Amino acid sequence: MSPTAGLGLKPQHYDDALAADAEGLWFEVHPENYMAAGGPRLRRLEAIRETRPLSLHGVGLSLAADADPDLGHLLALKALADRFEPFVMSEHLAWSAWRGVHQPDLLPFPRTRAALDRIAANIGRTQDVLGRTILVENPSLYLPLTGHELDETDFLVELTRRTGCGLLVDVNNVFVSASNLGYAAETYLDVLPAEAIGEIHLAGHGVDANEARSGSALLIDTHGAPVAEPVWALYRRLIDRVGPRPTLIERDDDIPAFDVLMAERDRAHGLLQRTLMGTGACASPQSRPEPVGDDARG
Amino acid sequence: MTPVGELGTFQDAFAAALAERTAAPITGWLPEGETDPAGLAVYRNTIAKGCVDALAANFPTVASLVGDDWFGAAAALFARDNPPKSAALLAYGVGFPDWLARFPPADDLPYLPAMARMDGMWATALFAPEGRPLAAEAFALEPQALAAARPRLHPSLAFAWFDSGLPGLWLAAREPQPGEMELAEDPQGVLIVRPHENVTARLLDRAGHAFLAAAADDATLGEAITAAAEADPAADLPALFAALIADGVFVGLDPGDPA
Repeated sequence: MSPTAGLGLKPQHYDDALAADAEGLWFEVHPENYMAAGGPRLRRLEAIRETRPLSLHGVGLSLAADADPDLGHLLALKALADRFEPFVMSEHLAWSAWRGVHQPDLLPFPRTRAALDRIAANIGRTQDVLGRTILVENPSLYLPLTGHELDETDFLVELTRRTGCGLLVDVNNVFVSASNLGYAAETYLDVLPAEAIGEIHLAGHGVDANEARSGSALLIDTHGAPVAEPVWALYRRLIDRVGPRPTLIERDDDIPAFDVLMAERDRAHGLLQRTLMGTGACASPQSRPEPVGDDARG
Repeated sequence: MTPVGELGTFQDAFAAALAERTAAPITGWLPEGETDPAGLAVYRNTIAKGCVDALAANFPTVASLVGDDWFGAAAALFARDNPPKSAALLAYGVGFPDWLARFPPADDLPYLPAMARMDGMWATALFAPEGRPLAAEAFALEPQALAAARPRLHPSLAFAWFDSGLPGLWLAAREPQPGEMELAEDPQGVLIVRPHENVTARLLDRAGHAFLAAAADDATLGEAITAAAEADPAADLPALFAALIADGVFVGLDPGDPA
């Protein structure tokens, strides 16, 4: 299977998703929204899974906390993975849980060597329980924290080296973070090792409406707008370099009709097909036709 | 308590900066002179929005009755004092009905906590384990065997009794186009269950509530019917029983001890 484009699945689109006939279409969900004992939501996902590949993209594991991943959460993830057999599973380089409180956000931290040790251990533990490797996504950042000992790209690459995990490159997050913290998105993307990248995310962002200060307003990773043109340009640059990868259109707020999202998904799909032709992916050792999350860990 | 390293020390400081609405706790991790970074508010707003959206999903009748602005403000205040304890927000807001009952701005909306309670019952039924309702044929037993049998109730079943017509108000408010809503004075019960794909809800009378309360307390069918008759001597017991079977509230029937 060559890499194709997918769409974040929203409950209001279940019927459209079941009826969709686009070639190579796959869906991604947040497993936290399906951690239920039963009910129609799980049944609908089951029906969709019967016809389409599925990706589980976690938002609540809190890998970048100074604590072991919550075992109950891990086992719930494992149960969903066993039931839905996703072709890839992913999480974020961020924390949300701390001392019993779960903030529904992806929070930052100073990228120290101590943090690297802890997060590598947390990823290892996660992969051991799940019995498979995961992809780790770069976060969108809003604070100019000091005390970093590693660049984010070095930090991510070191995690892949230590744990065997892959990378989920969210191009919109790169764009947002680069704008907010003042670095070049191109440079960031150019140094990520192609062989580590297992999936790409594309989403829309907004401008901070509360920002009435001097200087430039923050960009916010809202997932509430179409993918911006500069993000498309970065995406093309990335896949031109590393080859096609499973690519997801994410939309979680101000959700339009299914067809509107499918138009963005089809645009990504077209770019992937074009890249596939251009690079001759079948012969290229750089391309990874199999998503890395499928690899079972020994 | 977890032994805390430097990452944990930062998390403690960041959590305090979020809760106390000041960057002071994380000053040591900010560039010199940066005392009020806009980014902190972005995290704070995203967290609040995540909580408010989850509560709006779980308490849709409350949200529709008070409007998005009132609901958003109340839900954000609730979330500040009652942050989620799980990454899965499907059950978030268990304490919201009781919190609303103590929320001064809701004093002139005395029906609101009950609306929230029934919304919560609905949300719980929506994600409850699956159960396969018994068909009417399963109850075609000799009268003595039927009376001695103990029914097993659907895992999604929820029911409650109220001192006034709050269930009727709640059902009316959930209509896609709510008409005029009145609060009846007579006490009413509500039955919520997800027999197959969808959650259903209906009013429950005194006898029906007494029957389910007994059955949930491990009574035999005979004992439950007796409880229903005692609650309302005028009740049509065969019709009551047939309606509950049709609702799909029974998933099993354990034979009783031979008399």
